[in-house]
Amino acid sequence: MSHQRYPSIDPKEPHSVSLKVLRPSLVVQHPLPTPVSLPTASAHNYQEPPIPASLAYHTNGDTNPDPFLLAPILQLPPSFGSAYVGETFSCTLCANHDVPLPGELPPAAAGVSASGNLAPTSPANPPTKRKFTRDVRIEAEMKTPGSSAALKLPLLGANGVVVEHPDSNNNNDNGAAKGHNHAKGGMDLEPGDTLQRIVNFDLKEEGNHVLAVTVSYYEATETSGRTRTFRKLYQFICKGSLIVRTKVGALLPPPPLPSESDDLLEEKKKGGERKGKGRDRRRWVMEAQLENCSEDVMQLSRVGLDLEPGLRYQDCNWEVVGSGGGRPVLHPGEVEQCCFVVEEDLGPNKAKLEVDEDGRIVFGVLGIGWRSEMGNKGFLSTGKLGTRIVK
Amino acid sequence: MSFANVFRSIASRPRSATKGPLDVDEAPVASPIPSQASRFSSSQQASPRTSLSRGLSPASRSSAPSIAPVTSKDFSFLLRPEIYHQLSPLSIPPPFRHPSRQPAPETPIPDLLNHGHFRSAAIAAVQALTSSPVSALSAAAHPPVSPTDHVRIFELLYTRLVCLCLIDATSLAAQESKALEDLNSAFYLDPLTGAHLVPWELRVLGVRLQAIGFGDPRRAVMSYYELAREARVEIAKAGKAHDHSTSELWKHRLAELGVKVAGALVEMDDLAGAAEHLATLGDGNQPFKVGGDGRLAMSRALLWLHLGDVEAARLCVSDGKGGEMGERIVDALADMADGEYKTALEKWQELKSTMEENGVHDEMIGVNLAVCQLYTGNMTEARDSLEGLVDEGSASHTLLFNLTTMYELCTDRHKNLKLRLAERVASKQPTPLGWEKTNADFKL
Repeated sequence: MSHQRYPSIDPKEPHSVSLKVLRPSLVVQHPLPTPVSLPTASAHNYQEPPIPASLAYHTNGDTNPDPFLLAPILQLPPSFGSAYVGETFSCTLCANHDVPLPGELPPAAAGVSASGNLAPTSPANPPTKRKFTRDVRIEAEMKTPGSSAALKLPLLGANGVVVEHPDSNNNNDNGAAKGHNHAKGGMDLEPGDTLQRIVNFDLKEEGNHVLAVTVSYYEATETSGRTRTFRKLYQFICKGSLIVRTKVGALLPPPPLPSESDDLLEEKKKGGERKGKGRDRRRWVMEAQLENCSEDVMQLSRVGLDLEPGLRYQDCNWEVVGSGGGRPVLHPGEVEQCCFVVEEDLGPNKAKLEVDEDGRIVFGVLGIGWRSEMGNKGFLSTGKLGTRIVK
Repeated sequence: MSFANVFRSIASRPRSATKGPLDVDEAPVASPIPSQASRFSSSQQASPRTSLSRGLSPASRSSAPSIAPVTSKDFSFLLRPEIYHQLSPLSIPPPFRHPSRQPAPETPIPDLLNHGHFRSAAIAAVQALTSSPVSALSAAAHPPVSPTDHVRIFELLYTRLVCLCLIDATSLAAQESKALEDLNSAFYLDPLTGAHLVPWELRVLGVRLQAIGFGDPRRAVMSYYELAREARVEIAKAGKAHDHSTSELWKHRLAELGVKVAGALVEMDDLAGAAEHLATLGDGNQPFKVGGDGRLAMSRALLWLHLGDVEAARLCVSDGKGGEMGERIVDALADMADGEYKTALEKWQELKSTMEENGVHDEMIGVNLAVCQLYTGNMTEARDSLEGLVDEGSASHTLLFNLTTMYELCTDRHKNLKLRLAERVASKQPTPLGWEKTNADFKL
C-alpha cells in the first residue's frame, strides 16, 4: 500500500485497523544434502534424505516433492504487491480490541488487563474502571478515479457470509434477526478479540484508488457510554495489466478455382435460396495484440469475442491449433497475437446485421481472461469493436 | 499422391525416440563423448589455468608430494580470510543470542549441525579454514586445515556454504562460492586418477551459488548440464564394469540434476520453460526415480499452480499419477487457487485427520489449513491452529512468518507478541531441524 493516512475523527487515541492483501504463494525450498562431516552421511548411500532444515517444512510423511524447488506449503503475502486492472482487489480488515500483554503492565496493574480498550490504558485512566467495547462495526468504501462518489462495498465475515451489504444498510431491523448480534451486524469485542472482515473489489480502472474504512463502536463503562468512530484511508494505485490493440480487415473471398467455377454456375442455376451461404457472406479478419504490461507472468485462459446478433466468429488461436502449444504464457512485456474470422450469420431466423448511420458495423467486444501466480484471476473486455463498411 | 496420403504416411511413422542429455542411455554403448576424466586430465597437462594457479607457489608445489601422498595440489587460495564474511549476531532475535543457549566454542562441527546451530557451524568452519580460532579451546575443536588436505578443505567449505544457505544468508554464500572459480577446471582433478577432487554435493551446490554470485542465472542451467554429462559417462562406465551400486548412485544423481534444472528455470522466472522441461523428465519407464512415486507428478502440479494453470495442475496428479495423498493435496491447493477457500478448508481438515490416523504429522497441512481459515474470515481459529503447530515443535520459516503476519493483523502490539514467540521457539530443544532463527523469521 503506497500511502496510509490517518485522518481519524478522534485522533487522540490510536485505534486499530490492519490491512493485508490476500493471495498466498507457494514456498521455495532448496533441499541440500547433509554436510559430509555428519557421521550419517556416506558417499554411496544415495537415498540419504536432505538436511531437514533445508526443506520448507517438517513432515514424517511423504508429501514433499524434494528435490524440487517448489513446496506445497503456502505463505501469506509479504507485502501489498501491485494492483492491476481486471483483477480482484482482496484484503482483510481487522478491528482489534487491543490490550497490553500481561507482562507489559506495571506490576500493580497486572491483574486488571481487562481494563484495556481499543485505545491503550493511559496512566490517567484508573485501572479499576472497566470498559466494554460493544457493537463494533466495520464499513468500507472504495473511491475509484472515474467516480465522484465513493462506492460502498459488501463485506464478508466468518465463513464467507456477507455481513455488511450496501443495500441493507439503511434498514435497522435487518440485522435484528441475527439474535445475539446487534443491529447492522455489530459485534462485541472482549479484550484481545478481533473483528475480521474481508473485502473483494473488481478493479476496472487505472489510477488512484482510495479504500476508506470506518470503524464504529460503543464504548461503555459501568455507568455510562459513548459511540466512537474512526476512519482510515488506504490509497493505492491500480495499474494496467494488458494493452490490447486490434485491427480489422475485410476478408475477400478467394478467386474461384477453375474447377469450382463450373459447379458454382450449376448451383446458381439451381436456385437462389443458397445464395447467401457462400460468397455473398461478408467476412472480416480481426487481429488482436495482447501485451502484458504488468510485472507478473500471466497465462491467458480465454480470449474470445462477444458478438452482436447477426454475426458469428471462428477462433484461429491456440485452442484450434491443438494440444501442442497449450495456453500462451506472457512474461512482462511480451505480446501474444490472436486472430479471429468474423462473418455474417445469415441463417433464416438470424437477426439482420445492423449498420449505423456512419456506415459502421459494430462487432461486439473482445474478452480476455487470464490467470497469474497461484491462480489469481483476471478478466477484462474491450470497448465495442467494429469496422467501417467500404462502399 | 494427394495431400491426404502424404499426411497419413507422415502420421503413421513412429515417433523417433528423443533422448536428451538428462536421460540415461540404457544401451551400454560407449558414449561418443570421450571419457570426461581423460579429457580433463589431458587438458590439465596442456594448459593449467592461470587464474587458479595464483595461490600456488612453485616451492609449495614441489615440496607438497612428500606431505600429502594423495595430491600435490595446494588449495591455499580457498583459505584466505578475506573470502569469508563476518556473520553478525544482530540478525537473530535476542532470545536466541542468550549465552546459556549458544553452544560452547569447542563444540565439534557435527554436533553443531545435529543441534541446528548452523550459524555457529558456519563460523567454526571458517575458523578452521582460515586458521583463525578465537581461543585455544576452539583451536582444539576446529584444528587449522593444511592447504593440501583437499578432503577436509572441501568438507569445511561445503559445511560453510550449506550453513549460510540455512541461516538465510544465501547471498553471502554466493559471494564466497566465487572463490572456487571454475569448478570444471582441470585443476580440480586428481592428476593420477582423473577423479574430481571436489565432492559431488559441493559441485552441485556451487552451480546455484555461483550463478547467483556472478549474477548469471543461465549459467546454472548450463552447469547442471555439464554435470549431467559427467554423470552419464559415469553410468556408462559403471555399467561396463557391472558395478550396480555405483551405477544406481549416478543414475540418482542424474535424475536429481534433471529436477534441479527445472528449479533453476523457475528461479530464472522461465516458468513455461520449466514446465516443458519437467514434462520431459520421465518417471515411468526409467529405471530410477527421485524419491517415491508421484514426486515428479507433484512437482509438475505445483509448477502449474505457481504459473496459475489450475486445470493443468489437477491433470498432473489425476488417475493415480500423484499418489492418493498427492492428488488430495493438489486438489485442495487448486481449490484455493480458484478462490474456493471454504471447500479447500474442508479438504485440509479431512487430510489432517486422515494423516493423524496414520500417525503422520505434517506441518504443511496445518499451515495451509490455517491460511484457509484466515481467508474464510476465521482469523482467531487460524491463529490458534498455528500456535498449536508451534507448541507441537514445528518452526519452519513459513509457519513463523504466517503466524507473525497474523499478529500484525490482530494487534498493534505485535512486536511484543513476536518477541514472545521467539522466546518460545528459542526455549525448544535444539534439533537437526534447525534451532536458531533469524529476525526475518519473526518479521522483527
